[in-house]
Amino acid sequence: MTIRKLISRREFICWLGMAGAGAALIACAKNDLPTPVLSNSTQTSLPVASTLSPTQTDGSVGKTYLAVARGESPAELTRRVVEALGGMQRFVNTGNDVIIKPNMCTDNHTFEFAATTNPEVVAELVRQCLSAGARRVRVMDAPFGGSPESAYRKSGIADAVTAAGGQMEVMNPAKYAETPIPQGVDIKKWWVYQEVLNADVLINVPIAKHHGEAGLTLGCKNLMGTLQRRNLIHENLHQRIADITSLVRPDLTVVDAYRILTRNGPTGGNLNDVKLTKTIIASQDIVAADAYACTLFGKTAADIGYIKLASRMGIGTDDLSSIKIEELAV
Amino acid sequence: MKAATWQRLRQLTQVLVLGLFIFLFTQSVYLVQSSPLGDLFYRLDPLVAVTAMLAGRLIIPTLALAIGTVFVTLVFGRVWCGWFCPLGTILEWTSPHKKKITIKVSEPSPTWRKMKFFLLMATLALAVLGNQTLIFLDPNTILTRTMAGAIWPALRYGTFSLENFLFQFKLLWPILDAIHAVLIVPLFHNIQSVFIAAFPIFLFFLGLIALNWSAERFWCRYLCPLGGLLGWLSRYSLLRREVHQPCKQCGLCSAQCPTGTIDPRNGYCSDSAECIVCTDCVKSCNQGDVSFRWQLPHWKPAEKHSYDPSRRDALVTIAAAITGATLAGIEPIARRSPEHLIRPPGATLTDFESLCIRCGECVRVCPTQGLQPSLVESGWENLMTPHLMARLGYCVYNCSACIQSCPSSAIPKITLEEKHAAPMGLASINRDRCLPWAYNTSCIVCEEMCPLPDKAVVLEQGEGQGLGQVGNASLLKPHVIREKCIGCGVCEFHCPVGGDAAIQVYSLPDNKPPLSGI
Repeated sequence: MTIRKLISRREFICWLGMAGAGAALIACAKNDLPTPVLSNSTQTSLPVASTLSPTQTDGSVGKTYLAVARGESPAELTRRVVEALGGMQRFVNTGNDVIIKPNMCTDNHTFEFAATTNPEVVAELVRQCLSAGARRVRVMDAPFGGSPESAYRKSGIADAVTAAGGQMEVMNPAKYAETPIPQGVDIKKWWVYQEVLNADVLINVPIAKHHGEAGLTLGCKNLMGTLQRRNLIHENLHQRIADITSLVRPDLTVVDAYRILTRNGPTGGNLNDVKLTKTIIASQDIVAADAYACTLFGKTAADIGYIKLASRMGIGTDDLSSIKIEELAV
Repeated sequence: MKAATWQRLRQLTQVLVLGLFIFLFTQSVYLVQSSPLGDLFYRLDPLVAVTAMLAGRLIIPTLALAIGTVFVTLVFGRVWCGWFCPLGTILEWTSPHKKKITIKVSEPSPTWRKMKFFLLMATLALAVLGNQTLIFLDPNTILTRTMAGAIWPALRYGTFSLENFLFQFKLLWPILDAIHAVLIVPLFHNIQSVFIAAFPIFLFFLGLIALNWSAERFWCRYLCPLGGLLGWLSRYSLLRREVHQPCKQCGLCSAQCPTGTIDPRNGYCSDSAECIVCTDCVKSCNQGDVSFRWQLPHWKPAEKHSYDPSRRDALVTIAAAITGATLAGIEPIARRSPEHLIRPPGATLTDFESLCIRCGECVRVCPTQGLQPSLVESGWENLMTPHLMARLGYCVYNCSACIQSCPSSAIPKITLEEKHAAPMGLASINRDRCLPWAYNTSCIVCEEMCPLPDKAVVLEQGEGQGLGQVGNASLLKPHVIREKCIGCGVCEFHCPVGGDAAIQVYSLPDNKPPLSGI
């Protein structure tokens, strides 16, 4: 068999050079964009991607600031708390790109063990975002035990989200970037998943559970799933979680407290440690949502360092007496 | 069928089989649900079947498919080597082609063909003695190991590096995301791996290819122990090459023969033990004087050649094998396990070193790529056996990929419950390096990561506050509960201390009888 020459070496190199030049041009175009000004104030000028800033809400009057629902069906509870906050259309506009960040920390156990977020809650949020007109709803987390695919599957969230019309995204290591944290007290920059910052709407769906050092894993702690080099966060865990929360600000936080893990967190594995509390909490203020969730464990925000620090930094409020809370029995 | 058609058919088969090998290599993995065919090439490998069963003193039913290969060889000759063997295909494609009619003086003397029989006999003799060291020379194990421990991770690294570079340009993200989802994830599975033995493994493979410049298919002709076994069977095969008169003695066929077995000094006849039934000679003969014919009804074994091993050769090889086995017996591992030699899960339940065929299947499927082919960490006799390097990748609590993929049951087919109950090692905290213990800095990563429902790492309230701690929380210090720890190494993997982790998994207490001595 004779091999016909389709292209000579010289031609090949020529094409390669042109392709390279094209890539370089694209690179130049990117570099010519104005760089964001970050240094001159404590105020964030980063694209935090929020249509409304959670911090700027006056909690005492007007709309419900935090909603709590108790009842039997996790999906129904989710629907009701979002409704109480003004409905999903308050957060999601037509054509928006939405990311939902549940807690899928490992592939060790199913959601009944209360180490991962309830799939019904996540699926209900996906459905609501889509009916509010979202262009795309992606669900993601970066597990520390097992692979993303296996953790997505084991938690039951993959099946529920796909059925609801959302997409599971395996977080791509190439899409993390070192990002400045203008308001950071201890850390001034960290490696953050850029999609989370770029999305139009970010919905944070933690499960309320025990954690050895943090005390409790709630909304702010759940944001650690958007970072690389997480093991280094633990050296000054509370302040660093608060710092991260100042950068990655979810537009809505829904705390899944249908089942809570009271011991051996965050991984769990023992049904005796699980308490059925049948509660869902939601607020546009991540700090307030966390502060409320503490009470289910018989604690207050003052017991959990990162909630206190986040409140002190002005990310939200941990003073539950100053905000309008709507409690629903479903 | 015409000779050219046979040749095309053979080339197509080679492409398909190598394609199947790569397909199973990339697709039969834990992350996308294991396929039962992942170990197909080992099930078909009679050498592996014989040595694993001999050395492990165990009937391994999954390897029974190798009888099929023996049967095919007894009928058609060494077609495995010429048509199916993925390594053989790669060696064939990387050979420099010889088209000129020459008598190949540069090639090694035919006596070298003995070498593969020596290796075969030594492998079998060692297997009788309970040792499978030499099975690392089986061609299937070579290819899996090279792909799993060097070629594929390097390709993956290169691809990811390029991706990382391109992802700097946000304009390209829509295209890159599509490529990532459609092409890169299915092939590389979002794993990033490192391998301690990548260079030696790759250089060995490169050496096999380089030998092609001495003689085409050097490895297949002179060295391959599986080729030796199949060649020995092919002496009795039913289909053999024949030369008919009047042969013009033109030498075209001997110039083409990839194994150089067509002997111009012997009427261009060949040895069925060396012939890989590639049919190149049939095509090259423009007289139609060469063909493959059924030996029935006048069947008799192929005649002996000068390089066939004699009885004396066999005795010498057995003596060499015994020497090797006794030397292996005085390696340090006979007295003490190396401190960080963590075998795959369940390996403590079997005679692991005797059963392991060094194939690298477990290394291939390990989702964290913590399983590494060892060099001499566990002694020369255990070259290329797998061990877990928890600092590079831990054992996933609910994963049984290596258990499912092990072709020889060296990693026994245990359930997840049994896996959780069979410790691989024991974690130990180095208080001189641990952040809370040594530096009064809060850190609980090992406790957080511990996957056990009842955690094997527990936190003790220390005195006073840690550096950087807020509120009234006191410094927490981790402890390992010896009875609970299963040695999965997730704590060691995630430990934030630089360099060696401050919590490390150590070997379990030895249960083998130590060498006697004072």
